[in-house]
Amino acid sequence: MIRETTALMVRELKHWYRAKIQIFMLLIQPIVWLGLFGQALPLQLPPAALNGAPDYMSYMSVGMLAVTALFTCMFAGMSVVWDRRFGFLNKLRAAPIPRGAIPVSRILAAMIRAVISALMVLLIALIFTHIPGLAGLTVTSNFDVMSALGMLLILVLLATAFSAVFVAIALTIKTQETLFAVINLLNLPLMFASAALFPVNSMPDWLQAVAKVNPLTLAVDGMRQLLFSGSVGIYPLWVDILGLLAFSVVLVVIGIVVAMRALKEK
Amino acid sequence: MTAIIEVKDLVKVYNGSIRAVDGITFEVAEGEVFGFLGPNGAGKTTTIAVLTTLLQKTSGECKVCGIDVSKNPTEVRRSIGLVPQEMTVDDDLTGRENMLLQATLYGVEMKVAKERIDELLALVKLEEAADRMVKTYSGGMRKRLELSEGLIHRPRVLFLDEPTLGLDIQTRTTMWEHIRDLRKNSNMTVFMTTHYLEEADSLCDRIGIIDKGKIMALDTPIKLKESLGGDVISLKISGETDFTESIRSVEGVLSAKREDGSYRVKVLNGETVTAPLLHEISKKGGSVTYVSLERPNMDQVFLEYTGRSLRDAEQSGSYDRMAVAERMRRSGS
Ligand SMILES: Nc1ncnc2c1ncn2[C@@H]1O[C@H](COP(=O)(O)OP(=O)(O)OP(=O)(O)O)[C@@H](O)[C@H]1O
Ligand SMILES: [Mg+2]
Repeated sequence: MIRETTALMVRELKHWYRAKIQIFMLLIQPIVWLGLFGQALPLQLPPAALNGAPDYMSYMSVGMLAVTALFTCMFAGMSVVWDRRFGFLNKLRAAPIPRGAIPVSRILAAMIRAVISALMVLLIALIFTHIPGLAGLTVTSNFDVMSALGMLLILVLLATAFSAVFVAIALTIKTQETLFAVINLLNLPLMFASAALFPVNSMPDWLQAVAKVNPLTLAVDGMRQLLFSGSVGIYPLWVDILGLLAFSVVLVVIGIVVAMRALKEK
Repeated sequence: MTAIIEVKDLVKVYNGSIRAVDGITFEVAEGEVFGFLGPNGAGKTTTIAVLTTLLQKTSGECKVCGIDVSKNPTEVRRSIGLVPQEMTVDDDLTGRENMLLQATLYGVEMKVAKERIDELLALVKLEEAADRMVKTYSGGMRKRLELSEGLIHRPRVLFLDEPTLGLDIQTRTTMWEHIRDLRKNSNMTVFMTTHYLEEADSLCDRIGIIDKGKIMALDTPIKLKESLGGDVISLKISGETDFTESIRSVEGVLSAKREDGSYRVKVLNGETVTAPLLHEISKKGGSVTYVSLERPNMDQVFLEYTGRSLRDAEQSGSYDRMAVAERMRRSGS
């Protein structure tokens, strides 16, 4: 089980780093957002309204990390659809491997890609603060090893939850067109009904209710508490982390069950 | 003979209405090269999909290596290899990486795998290209890589779904060589499908002719040809008049069939019957515009058992599927 899963996961990751253009596109997006969108939207809010962030750009940068993880997981579904189209999935189905290795390897690969992408965005945001004329992420907490591990844990949990969802969707859905439709249906609501880009306090009540249970909100809320001193979270840090843990466990279990059903012979 | 593949009354119905496989029964002996010959849509791939545990059968019984494919699919998967019709090698890996992945999926130990990979890549003459990305391979190279992937775990039964589809004559011949070598050097059973007559004729120990989900005939190539009983004279006669009866009256004629203006005449001995036959027709006022004499070949065998020539049967859905798949692959990457 472990050997096959690892081999399949490595295959996915090889695809990813060999498709340089994909990585480039992925990074260009947050750069554009941080560079342009952030400048065009200079929300002048006090740190209290921004989860303790010193300025809006710092606030939004954290949101960008989470959103990048979300988008990377969504596109993990594409490779599943391609594999079906070219018969690679059937080849796996004909092989004497535990069927579970197929979704698990995908979820792991998508998770790793998402975390690496988010960390690259983090690096970009940190560099941007130091470039005159640009704005980025200013860390105000005493950021130590524990905070770094906390950040990593949050990103891993968030990415695991989302990749399980999208891998399961992609295995169930048979065509690229439908997958695109589903992705488009999900991405904007997920992104805007969360604390990723805007504080939840400024949202109408119903939206706030949704945003408060969005895994993206838990992730950014937790990360902001780790990055900004005096940050008062929507939830305490441990609630954010436990919530994300619960999300990822539940979604991985559901995802694998759904995936196994989709892989069954008809 | 010990049967390694046993199929009894196999039926596969898609979506409740398409009877892709319609009650077929056959056995394949260990060590045999067995071929399914049939046009597009005959049900060849569907049969393979059931036997390789990719598809659930509608009814019937299938055993591979004595194991029921529905009851114990995992066991079956361990002892078989599959080279599917569409190309499934991974474009964004090198040839060697593809092989290594396959070895891992089939639980071949790393050390053994490395040796076998070198061996197999040499066998299919891909050593030079082994460390290049597969997307730089030609169609023939991909097919060869696909074949060697199917062999990495030394399966007892190898399923080859149209192993030479879309290959040029030269590459096809090389592929045949590979398959013959396999047969010579191991006791592996090969179940293959094809819609090339020459291929079935020259590679297979026994051939099943399949059309519209049914097996129309099943025997060795020689016996199938013999069963036609003698030679075939094909004739075209101008005009609308039906000469079938006059043809049948000629001595040595076994049977005659008319199909829009052409006649297929089975005779015991073509050389001696042709002259009297032509004479008889002109006596009855017919003017022969075309005549040919053929010894039995697989095309005629096919025509005999399915009522249409394989080339006609192919016409309906005929387009270069390989080229289409290739285009899809390219545009997607
Ligand atoms: N997934 C499917 N759903 C519905 N019908 C199918 C499916 N797969 C195959 N069929 C139908 O079943 C029949 C047999 O198809 P199959 O692929 O087994 O033919 P084949 O002999 O392999 O043909 P070819 O030479 O074109 O590969 C065809 O009529 C085809 O349209
Ligand atoms: Mg087929």
